[in-house]
Amino acid sequence: MAETDYAAVTDQATRAVPLLPSRTNRAMIAIVRIAVGLLWLQNVGWKIPPDFGRDDPPEGLYLSTTYAVSHQVFGPYTWLVDRLVLPNFPFFGWMVLLVEASLGAFLLIGLTTRFWAVVGMAQTVVIMLTVLNAPHEWYWSYLLMLLVHMALFATAAGRYAD
Amino acid sequence: MRTHDTLDRAALVLGLVSIVSAVFVFVHGTFQLVQIGGAGLVVAVVLGLLAVVAGWLDERTLMLAAGAGFLIAAAVQLVLLRDGGSGFLGGNASTFSLWLGLGVGLIAIGVAAVPEATEESVEATD
Repeated sequence: MAETDYAAVTDQATRAVPLLPSRTNRAMIAIVRIAVGLLWLQNVGWKIPPDFGRDDPPEGLYLSTTYAVSHQVFGPYTWLVDRLVLPNFPFFGWMVLLVEASLGAFLLIGLTTRFWAVVGMAQTVVIMLTVLNAPHEWYWSYLLMLLVHMALFATAAGRYAD
Repeated sequence: MRTHDTLDRAALVLGLVSIVSAVFVFVHGTFQLVQIGGAGLVVAVVLGLLAVVAGWLDERTLMLAAGAGFLIAAAVQLVLLRDGGSGFLGGNASTFSLWLGLGVGLIAIGVAAVPEATEESVEATD
C-alpha cells in the first residue's frame, strides 16, 4: 500500500477551509473593503502637488499637517512634524499621496489586502496624531477607520490577501 | 479555489468599473469619488471596454494590454500632477489611484496561473 503524505494532506485541508464560509459574509466584507478603498481613493484627491497647499494662507494637506503643531496630540510627534515634516513638506506630501493612492488602489481590487490593511492602520494613526485635537474633529471617525482596517486584516478580504 | 471562470469575471468587472467611472464626468462636489475629464474619459471608456472584451473572451494578452494601458495612463497622470495641474488627462490623485488599481489588478489576473481542469471537474461541468 502506498504511503500517504499526511502532512501535505493536512496542510491542503487547512488551506481549503475558507476564512468566511458563508457567501453572504464574504459579500459583506467585500463591500466593506471596497468602501474603505473608495474612502482612501476619494480623499487622496485633495492632496494637490507640487506644494500640497504650502501657500499664504496655508491650505489643503499642509494646513491639516500644521494642526499637529497648533493643536498638539502627542508631544514627540509634534516635535517631529515641526522640525522634520513641515520644513521638507513636498517630500512628505508626495509620500502621503503615494501611500494613500496605493491604499485606494489595492483595497479596491482586493490584492494583498492584509498588508494594505496594516498600512491603513499606520496611516490612520498618523492622521489621528495630526488632527485629533483640531476644531470640529470627531474622534470616533478615526477610531472607526482604525477598527475597519483591523476587520479587513482579520478577514483577509480579497485575492492573494495574505 | 480560484477557477478559470472567476478570473475571467474579475477582468470583466474591472473593465466595467472603469466604464462606470466615466459617470464622474457629470458628478461634482461631495459625491465625486474620482475626477474624470478630458482625455481621461477616453482612457476610462476605451481601456474599460478592452478589459471587458478581454474578460469576455478570456484573452490573457488583452488583459495584460489593458492593464499596461491603465498603468501608463496612471504614470502620465502623476507626471501631469507633478507639473501642477490635471493636464490633458483631466484627472487628479484619485484618478491616479483608480487607474493604478485597475492596471495592477488586470496584470495580476493576466499573469495568474489557471488551474488545469481535472477529469472530475470536467465531468462535474458536463
